Order: sequence, then structure tokens, then C-alpha cells
Amino acid sequence: MEKENVIEVEHLTKDYKRGRGIFDFTFQVKKGSVFGLIGTNGSGKTTTIRHMMGFIKGDSGSVRIVGMDAWRDAAKVKKLVGYVPGQIDFPDVGTGTSFLRIQAELLGLKDFSYMNSLIDRFKIDITAPLNRMSKGMKQKMAVVAAFMAQPDIYLLDEPSTGLDPLMRDTLIELILEQKAEGKTVFMSSHVFKELEDTCDEVMFIHNGHIVNQVKRSQYESDPHETYSFIVASEEEYLLCREAIDRFIQRYQDGHMECWRRHRHHQFTVALPTTRLNEFFALLSQFTVSKLGSEQYSLEKYYTTIIERREVA
Amino acid sequence: MFSFPLFKQTVKANGLIWVVLTAVTAILLVQFAVLEMTQNLLFLIFYGVMAMLLPAVFILISSNKLFASQVDRGSMAYVLSTPIRRSKVALTQMAFSVLTIALMFVITTIAHIAVNANDPLSLELAGSGAGITGLTGDLTTEMIVKVNLSAMVVCLAMSGVCYMFSAIFNQSKYSLGFSGTFVGVSVLANMLAMFGSLGVEALENFKYVSICTLYDYQSILTGGDDWIIKGAVALAIAVVTYVVGSVWFCKKDLPL
Repeated sequence: MEKENVIEVEHLTKDYKRGRGIFDFTFQVKKGSVFGLIGTNGSGKTTTIRHMMGFIKGDSGSVRIVGMDAWRDAAKVKKLVGYVPGQIDFPDVGTGTSFLRIQAELLGLKDFSYMNSLIDRFKIDITAPLNRMSKGMKQKMAVVAAFMAQPDIYLLDEPSTGLDPLMRDTLIELILEQKAEGKTVFMSSHVFKELEDTCDEVMFIHNGHIVNQVKRSQYESDPHETYSFIVASEEEYLLCREAIDRFIQRYQDGHMECWRRHRHHQFTVALPTTRLNEFFALLSQFTVSKLGSEQYSLEKYYTTIIERREVA
Repeated sequence: MFSFPLFKQTVKANGLIWVVLTAVTAILLVQFAVLEMTQNLLFLIFYGVMAMLLPAVFILISSNKLFASQVDRGSMAYVLSTPIRRSKVALTQMAFSVLTIALMFVITTIAHIAVNANDPLSLELAGSGAGITGLTGDLTTEMIVKVNLSAMVVCLAMSGVCYMFSAIFNQSKYSLGFSGTFVGVSVLANMLAMFGSLGVEALENFKYVSICTLYDYQSILTGGDDWIIKGAVALAIAVVTYVVGSVWFCKKDLPL
């Protein structure tokens, strides 16, 4: 059965002129999924999320959250939403304790047990004055404020900014926990690793345009491992080139790619893990002077797409 | 249409400066009213200048914090990520600025009434310092209430204008720039016009560039009605600016 869409964005355009803004965004986020938004600085990640929060009104198109208009019904939508803003600065209320207390009152939150467990998990000293907190500490406060009421939908704008690696793992754990409870998460990031660890679907944006949208299964089945190697001589380079061309031709399913640098006698081959044995059998015929591997990651996927785009 | 938690937050952010300025105003007033040396200057200096200047300082600082500074810093995101309508935010902030000014004047009024009841000021003395002659009798409680009321509505108008700038601009520098210019020019021109009333006629015309002109203690002391019409104009300015600011805030794009 097809799951219902929690977030529906249709032909959303916000033109800030001089090429800035977002243009004709259309995408859906399914209930219970984690959706990642990735893009360079200024590509429109924050603008997209601000529309969902009803902070800005698009020039055209619509944003609907569980069927409600994100701008017109902003107050109702927020009953369902937890938000980590991209810009972290707190109201002028003294300590972390009083900030969280006022925030809980605004949310109508009565049960503080989950909030307290989050504070323990993220190791926050909430009695500290807000303006003395470090960047990471402020970020953790923001995460607690967004998660403490356990809403159905999370909108997270670069939630891991400023967190140390351990805390980033805690955050990822938390996101996955919430997903397991059927919650929907929409997050932006430029850290590929955390999106890889959490997202069911990732959307790439660049200069205000959607470049590509991939499901986890898609990028995971795409060429998986990448090997770079250098052969010993010119003669071997030419032979190897032929052999690899034949190898790729034999599997014309588009899952393999090869880049060459003649001057260095270097090859870079991307291939699915299932072909590794054959590949190494081929390699064993040559004198390989250097061999390295890299994970075929989301990052690689992204940079390849962007590079192709800039060339085209 | 009022959010108590938000109100509490606003009080926390602005409470201290209000307490300090209210205390300074009340102490100055009592001092002017009690000391024989300064009694003749009570109207000229205190009601003429201080009763505008001190609330203006509070208005300038607090109104910027109501919206512009919070939007500029991004902290408004926390308030608006909870199920609260923007109109509710606007009304709560409006309530704060109206109530604090009202309370400030209630306190000074009570202080003055208490001091005056103990030792009523002669109007002849009060008028002499302010350049008004021919007054007889003593300063009455009714007059004190009227003078403070007249000052209060003008401060509300000033506060409305600053509230509007704060609600319109997303950056503190613009909100403070416009409000500061408006309040600064008004208070300064009011002071210069004071010298005008003392006989330096060339300075008299400064009253026309100041909103404080709508505050008219002279007409109250001389038993006139001018202050009522002027007060009504001030009140109208307050209503219009508060409404424009609130509506603008509800409709604008917020970079949060």
C-alpha cells in the first residue's frame, strides 16, 4: 500500500532576484520516512524549510503539511512540527532552564520526562546562561527544544552543525528512533555521511533548482566500489585499457564506469561489489604499482552530478 | 489572543530596564516636587522634559527587542515554531508596550499625588518657572492626573511608532535607526522648544517637529481644553501605528 504524503510541495517558486531563490520545486515526503535535502551554500535549503514553517510565502506554488497550507494554517501546522532553525540564537531570557521552561509552556508541554532524558543524553548543562553557551551547546539546546514534545514531523535545518562526532552520532540515533516510531523527518545538510546514515530519500539542489532525487535503494545499487590503480608501463597501460573496455562492454547495464589518466597510467573504475572477483582476476594480469579503494558514497554521487552539470 | 508564556519572556528581556527607568523617573519627580529649590522647575524641567525623555529611552530600547532584534538574531524562530499565531505574538507584544508605559505613569502619578497631598504646590510658583503668569490656587490631584494622562498618550504614540518600525524591519539597524531618529528628534526638539517658551522665540518653532507638542501641560494648568484634542490626536497616532505594525508583522516574510 502506498503511504500517504506528509509534506507536499508543488511548483514552489520564490524569486529573490539576481538568480537567488528557489525555482519550481516539486516533491513529496512520505509518512514515516527520512528525507534529506543536500546542496551547496546558498542553494536554497533554508528557503525551502522556511516555506514549510510558514515563515515565508512563496511567489507561486504551494506547500502542504498533512493537507494544510503551510502559510495560511501555520499555527495549526506547528502543533505537529518540531523545528531546528539554521541560525541558532535564543530569546533573551537568561539561562537554558528558563528558555526550556518557557518553550514548554508555549508548546503546552506538561510531561517533562522525555525532555529530561534528552538533556541527559546530550549532556547539556541547562543552568548555564544562554549567551555563554558554546556553539555546540546551543545546537544541542535547539535539538532538545525541537524534539522534547515528540511531534509527528521534524524539520531540521542542518541539525548537526557545531556538534562533535559523538553528539552527531547521538543525534543520528535520535532521528532513527523517531523514524522507528513512525515520525517523518525532513532535514538539510551538507554532511553526506549523516544523510547516508539516516535518509530514505535524498534530494540534491543546486542554485535554487532540483538537480536530482534518489532513493536509498537507488544509490546503494549504483556502482558501489571505486578502485584507483596505476600500471607499471606505457605498454601495459594500452593493454589494460583494451581489457577494461572489453570488461565494461560485457556488462552493458550502466553500472560500471572507468576514468583514465594516460600520463600517469592511472585508471579509476567504479563497479558493483558483485563483479569484484572478475575485476581482480583481470588486474592480476598486469603489474599494478599502486591500488586504492574508495566507498562509492552519496558524496561521490553528488559531486559527479554537479560536475557533469557544470560541464554541461 | 494573548500568550502568557510569551509575555513572560518579554518581561524577562525588558523588565530590568523598565524598573530602572521607572524608579529614576519617580525619584526625580519626588525630588523636584519636594525640594523648595526645585519646586518652581517641576513643570519646566520634569514635566516639560524628563516626563518625555525617560519613557522615550525605555520605548526605544524595548520596542526594538519586541520584533526586529529577535528576527534579526533568529531567536523569534523558537516562539514561532510553537502553535502560536503571528497575530497573537503581535498582540502580546503590543500589550506589553502599552501596559509598561501605562504602569510607568500610574506609578509617577501616584507618587506625585502622595507628595502633593502632603504639601500642595502653589500654582503661582509652579507657573512662574514655566513662564506662565497669573495662576492662583494650588495644584490639584485632578490636574496631576490630567498632566500625566496627557504625557502618557503622547508616549503611547511614540511607542506605537517604534513598535511599527520594529515590526516592519527584519534588521535591528533599520528598526533602531528609524525609531532612534524619530524619538531623538522629538525629544531634542521638545527641549529646544522649551527654551522658546522661556523667551528665546527663535526656538519656539521647534515644537512643530516634535510629537511631544501634543502633550500640553500648560493648557491643563491654565484650565484650558487644548490638551484633550491634542491627546486625541496622539491616541489616534498610537492606534494607527500599532495596527499597521501588527498587520505588517502578520503578513511579511520572516528570515527565520
